[in-house]
Amino acid sequence: MANSRSRGSESSHNFASIVLGLCLACLPAVSHAANNCAWLNEATASGFLGGDAVGTFTAAAAGQPAICAFVDQSAAATRTLRITVEVAADPHARMMDALARDCGADAAPLKAIGNEALVCAADDRKGGLGERVVGRVRDQVFTITIGTTLKGDPILTRDALTAKIYSAAEQVSGNLF
Amino acid sequence: MRKIANALLVVAGLLLAGYQLAPALAQDGAALTPPPAYTPPPKGAAPAVDTPAQREALAKWKAKAEQRTEADRKAYNSVVTPSYNFHYGPKNPFTPGNVQVQGEGFLQPGAYPSAEYCGTCHQEAYSQWRQALHSNAFRTPFYRTSVNILIRDKTRGIAFARHCDSCHNPIGVLGSALTEDSKVDRAKFDSDGLTCTTCHSVVSLDSTNGNASVKMGVPAVIVDENGERIPGEVPFDMILRHPERHSQAVMHDFLHKPEFCAACHKANLPSPLNDYKFIRAFTAYDEWQQSKFSQRNPLTFYTADFTTCQGCHMKRNPITLPDYGAKNGTLVSHRWLAGNTAVPFYYGFDQQLNKTIEFLRAGNYLNVDIFALKKAGATNSPEPDKLIAPLGKVSYSLAPSDVVEAYVVIQNKNIGHSLIPEVRDLYEAWVEFTVKDANGNEIYHSGFLKPDGMLDPRAHSFTNRPVTNEGEFVDNHKVWTIHSVAYDNSVQAGRSVLVRYQFRMPADADGAVTVTAKVNYRHLRQSYLNNIFGKDHPAYPIVEIASRSRVLKIGENAPEAADPADNPDWMRWNNLGIALLDQFQYAESIQAFTEVIKLRPSYADGYTNVGLTEIVWEKYGSARTAIRRALSLDPGNARALYYDGLLQRRAGNTEQEIADFRKVIAMFPESRDARRELGITYYQQNDNQAAMEQFEALQRIDPDDLTAHYNLSILYRRMGKPQEAAEQQAMFVDKKVDPGAPTYSLNYLRIHPEISTESIPWHLHSDLVNDVGGPQNGK
Repeated sequence: MANSRSRGSESSHNFASIVLGLCLACLPAVSHAANNCAWLNEATASGFLGGDAVGTFTAAAAGQPAICAFVDQSAAATRTLRITVEVAADPHARMMDALARDCGADAAPLKAIGNEALVCAADDRKGGLGERVVGRVRDQVFTITIGTTLKGDPILTRDALTAKIYSAAEQVSGNLF
Repeated sequence: MRKIANALLVVAGLLLAGYQLAPALAQDGAALTPPPAYTPPPKGAAPAVDTPAQREALAKWKAKAEQRTEADRKAYNSVVTPSYNFHYGPKNPFTPGNVQVQGEGFLQPGAYPSAEYCGTCHQEAYSQWRQALHSNAFRTPFYRTSVNILIRDKTRGIAFARHCDSCHNPIGVLGSALTEDSKVDRAKFDSDGLTCTTCHSVVSLDSTNGNASVKMGVPAVIVDENGERIPGEVPFDMILRHPERHSQAVMHDFLHKPEFCAACHKANLPSPLNDYKFIRAFTAYDEWQQSKFSQRNPLTFYTADFTTCQGCHMKRNPITLPDYGAKNGTLVSHRWLAGNTAVPFYYGFDQQLNKTIEFLRAGNYLNVDIFALKKAGATNSPEPDKLIAPLGKVSYSLAPSDVVEAYVVIQNKNIGHSLIPEVRDLYEAWVEFTVKDANGNEIYHSGFLKPDGMLDPRAHSFTNRPVTNEGEFVDNHKVWTIHSVAYDNSVQAGRSVLVRYQFRMPADADGAVTVTAKVNYRHLRQSYLNNIFGKDHPAYPIVEIASRSRVLKIGENAPEAADPADNPDWMRWNNLGIALLDQFQYAESIQAFTEVIKLRPSYADGYTNVGLTEIVWEKYGSARTAIRRALSLDPGNARALYYDGLLQRRAGNTEQEIADFRKVIAMFPESRDARRELGITYYQQNDNQAAMEQFEALQRIDPDDLTAHYNLSILYRRMGKPQEAAEQQAMFVDKKVDPGAPTYSLNYLRIHPEISTESIPWHLHSDLVNDVGGPQNGK
């Protein structure tokens, strides 16, 4: 009989027992000001970015969308998750404008996100990878971008970004419904 | 040092958020890794015997796992507890939900093995579950829209949503996610709703109160040789070496019982949610318990083999993917097929959608019977208003311009609960009735869809209308605002409804007309879909569950061959009788039941049905005749004995009354009606102890029974138990009907005449409002 093991469970458990033992003393230092993002909390954003993200929220004003921005800043990389939400009179048209602006022609439809949504790559010119979703829930048009400045980022690989952007879109659109 | 601290914080955050440090897997199951090789032991083989070294290794693993889980839990609680909103007090962290968890404090989401972990060996179960409602219980827009309204409500907020999420997302509730400024990474569990290890970690059912009335254990997929649970994931080879220990950890006898389903498929709106009072939301469990399938209720009109919820909704099917839980190549379905077409439609789960439609159209849940005609107001007819019935078995004639009333009897034949169950204010099942001439031109149409997708407001719909205390329809599932139900047209299990339609044959009618009655189902109601998506959403599936057509010829109509799906004639009359009884048409109901007796003179229930109708009609003398006849045919018939008991009470024959009810209880110990009546009998005889026993038994069957609360509050006081008496009194006061409720309902009905007609049991669907025999004439 093959001596198979659950994926990662043994290694994660050994690592955890070491880490937690050292980490308990660190926990009281983990505190941030409350983030007012209505569509994602910092813990979830941290999970997406693979680190301890700090969030800021800017309310919508003067034709500008509301923005939640989460940043996980380390020496090696800046990983970001950015959400914009705006209410539009013609939300489908507004979404298509955002799509043209933020994705160009390379967007692919995403099933079961909001009323409708599309996903595209959002890589930066310096080799950092990113993924972006543009979508809408009723009259609310949203964009979500996850990216990293680190070329070859071991946490935000292309595959990981593909999975995370869908999950982030599900979180955000779920909260927008 | 700073880099190490940051790294440790990263991992702590990951672990506290429940991240298993495992690669992500696609949700559709296609990316699951192949299961490990496994050859099951021969059937009946003894479990593997561990060597001392293996036992020692297992003991060490268990100790480590327990220590780690406990430490993780403490660390997690130290982070999340300080900012948690204990709105209902520190002892009620999950109220208004009823879910509980073993151990102290919140349970971290990482304690639950993932569905992908389980799915490695249980690929069939995983692939079914992924498309089914349980896994999608939280994330769907149909749920999120309504729970978000509650969360955003300025008078309430996220703490109140613990009521909803206790069933829809228990990992979130038990993990402290439902609080402002939550510290919990929700992406790890929101998309999995009721994951494998939520149901399979329940260690006890607390009651049949519903609202997630279970105790969740710390998840474990295996026990040790002493039967003690080992928390968390374990290597697959540990499970495969001792599958019996895996089964002991995750399988319990109660998983096969309806009481397990009742934990969530029974819900109420408690006063901590609505600041008002207990309101029954729904209870598929009690409906099942009162149906023929439970074999616990002697008063059903028909009988059936014992069938649980699982018996219909988790049928065993051949597997198409590897699954080590399969028996003889079959597995109990983890699709839980039922009525929800909306979720698979939205997610593109075509297999689930097709199987759901197949399930709904299985053909035997409902019977649609165009049972009779009446030629209304035909003064030249020798027998005006005579019922031409049963259609297909009698001759009749029709002429152009005849005003015809069609009797459509719809029987909830083989559903183990009501049509429509549960959240029937959101679901939409209705009767579509059409009359077409020989060329297919429409003469009459009820139950059509308007161009905007909304249902004909005058359609006969098996729905209800919850209203606020202002008499406004609660259109968007703001359940905490419900104060009354303006009407409820659901059809309980085993019962039938009569829907009457009136139309005029065309003056130039030639040949024949075709009348068709269909029961259609749409999940969800169009206005609720509009609430969720706005009005620009695709048309959601409409499924025809059952239908029947008849051709009515101008001129003479002879008897014709029955359709294979038709009920036998005695049942057709019986169903009409049941429907007329529920519509308070007692004389006509008795006539229908009398036709049953003519066709089946030795059928005791025929006489019992006459008797029970006469009891409701307060004609006790003739009721006694009928019940005695039933008992002469079948002396031990529990149904007849029950009604005889009521009649004996009426006649003052207490000894016989008690004997009757006791016999019924001996055969049906979980008959709530018999327990209630015997309790009343003993109460009236001042036998407090005996009365108390019956009401306590009743309360074990139905914790919310009002009669039990009322009588026990008095009996406990008499027996010197003031604390218990006060508790029962408080529950009675909380659960009894608000005397103002009819006012709220009437306010709604007053401004909705199309619905107010539907709220009257005996009503007619007709366009002939200013013509003969229309609704204006009170017919």
